[in-house]
Parts: sequence; C-alpha cells; structure tokens
Amino acid sequence: MKSIKVWDPAVRLFHWSLVAAFTANALILDDDTKLHQYVGYVVVGLIAFRVVWGLVGSQYARFSSFPPSVTGATGQLAEMATGRKHIHVGHTPLGALMIYNLLFTLAVITLSGYLMTTDMFWGVEWPEEVHKISITWAEFSVVLHIAAVIFESRRTKVNLPRAMFTGVKVLPETQGGN
Amino acid sequence: MAFSSRISRRKAAGLLILMTAQVFCAVFFVTDVISDYQEVGVDAVAHTHLYIETLATLSLVLAILFEGNVLAKMLRRQAHLEASLNNARAAVQDIMDEQFEQWGLTPSEQDIATFLVKGFSTAEIAELRGSAEGTVKTHLNSIYRKSGSRNRTEVLSLLLDCIMVTGDKSAPTQA
Repeated sequence: MKSIKVWDPAVRLFHWSLVAAFTANALILDDDTKLHQYVGYVVVGLIAFRVVWGLVGSQYARFSSFPPSVTGATGQLAEMATGRKHIHVGHTPLGALMIYNLLFTLAVITLSGYLMTTDMFWGVEWPEEVHKISITWAEFSVVLHIAAVIFESRRTKVNLPRAMFTGVKVLPETQGGN
Repeated sequence: MAFSSRISRRKAAGLLILMTAQVFCAVFFVTDVISDYQEVGVDAVAHTHLYIETLATLSLVLAILFEGNVLAKMLRRQAHLEASLNNARAAVQDIMDEQFEQWGLTPSEQDIATFLVKGFSTAEIAELRGSAEGTVKTHLNSIYRKSGSRNRTEVLSLLLDCIMVTGDKSAPTQA
C-alpha cells in the first residue's frame, strides 16, 4: 500500500460545497424563492474560486495537471476495454473531461438563471429553456460522474470517494510502476 | 482491413466525440419524451406521434450503445497492435483476434494472449497490465483451458496453424 496526498483541503471543500448547493437547488428548494437565487450566487462563487485555484492551487488542483485530452480519454477507455490498469495519481483523463463539462454546464445554468431574474429578459423565453436543458444535462452528468467513480474504484481498486473526503489516495502495491 | 494505428487512434477519438454529442441529444430527447407522456397522461394511447417519437429516441439510444461496442473493439485492436505500422502484422493480429473470439476469451484474456504471442514473460505481462503476477497466471490458465492446450508452446502452435490455414484459403482469391 502506498498513500499519496492528492486533494488539498480547498479542492475537497469546493467539491462538497458544490454537491450541497447543487442538490439544494435541483432537488429541494422551490425554484421561485429568493433562497434559490442566493444558492445560485454561491455556485457562481464556487466556480470562480475553482477556476482561480486551477491556476494557482496545489499540484493536482491545477488545470495544467489535467489538461483536456481526447487521446488521453480514448487511452483510458482502451485500458477498460483490455482490462489493463495503470493508476493516475491525480485526475484521470475521463475524470478531467467530466470536471470541465460540469464547470461549464454549471456556468451556463447560473448565467441563464441570472438572466431570468433581470428586467431586460423578463418574459423572454430562451433563458428559461437554456436553464432547463442545462440542468437536465447537469443532472445526467452527476449521475454519470457517480457511476463512473464507483466503476473506476472497483476497476482500479482505489477508493476514490474516500480520497475526496480524506484527500489521500491509497494505491495497491502492484500498481504505479512496479 | 489493415490501417495504421495513428489513423485508427484519430478514428477512435472522432467516434468518442460523436458519441458525446449523441448522448447530449439523447438526454434531451429522453427527458422530452418523458415530459410529453406526463403532459398527455392516459391519452398517450391515442397519440401516434408520441409512439414515433418514442421509437426514434429509443433507436438513438440503441445506436449509442452499438457505437460504444464498436469503439471498445477498435480500442482493443489498437491496444493489441500498439505502435505497429506493419500491414502484415495487422492482418495476422486480425486472424488471431478472431481465434481468441472463437475460444471465448474475455477482453483481459485476449490482451494477455497477445502479449504471450509477442514473447513476454508472466512478470513482464503483469507489469504491462498493471496487475499482480498471480492474476496473470489465473488468466493464462483459463487461456490454456479454453484453447484446449497445456502450455504456451501449444497455444502458439494452434495460432500458427490457424494463420497458415487462413493463408492457404485466401491464396486463390488473391491470385
């Protein structure tokens, strides 16, 4: 067993705050309340923080450590298709694509949601349509994200949900080089 | 037929991007169909349009699953060939893959059998696949069992035999 510290406290706090805020607005709070709007502003703040942290944060939090890569993604899919497993210490290529997808989708959700509250777009239909479609996509993405985390944890024998709580990835001895 | 792995890598990436776009559409259509059913309620039985919409959505979902299968096969083949740009080698790999399928080898076993043919030791295969040696040995044993052979040499003989036979068959058509 080899333990590596990967997720700094800021990354973990960001992740779970976003989970709480998204769950509250998507499943619990009434859409027409002021509170729904405030939680939306919190999400904007969280996304802005994550973007800044992606530039100046710790090693595995930086965007430069998980650049979006289609060839990386097909490489990871090939590992799944052949039953090979080589551990990625930070984000995996598919995981990275999911992060960019979620950050972008949440930005679209909050922007369209904000537009719905402005006088300028009062009674205009498209911000609401965009808001709805992007929420559906975000909900699908979240379900896919959770399913993929469980699948990858089982495939690679690395407990990924626990790493997002403790910040430490525990890697099996046979993997990661030797 | 045989094509260079650089081209097939680009094809796989293209297919992945296409699938992502289709998944986005499918999510939209599926939720749309569901909300349509909720809107019309029991009257849904009389809505021919809804039936067609449902069928169209379902076929899109099926198409995505089919593409996923094609992508997995493509990636496996590519992984087996690795950096080989040699057409003859690709053709031999195709014949071997077909034989692996006939033996009923799992994707992991097919991968290990390919490494075996290339002459890698058990320890080397374990390192290449990032798994324990014991796991590779278990896979090797089921490869022997499924192919009806007792050791590496016999597996290689069987494969060599089927490559030569296939070569014979294709000879007249090529002439």
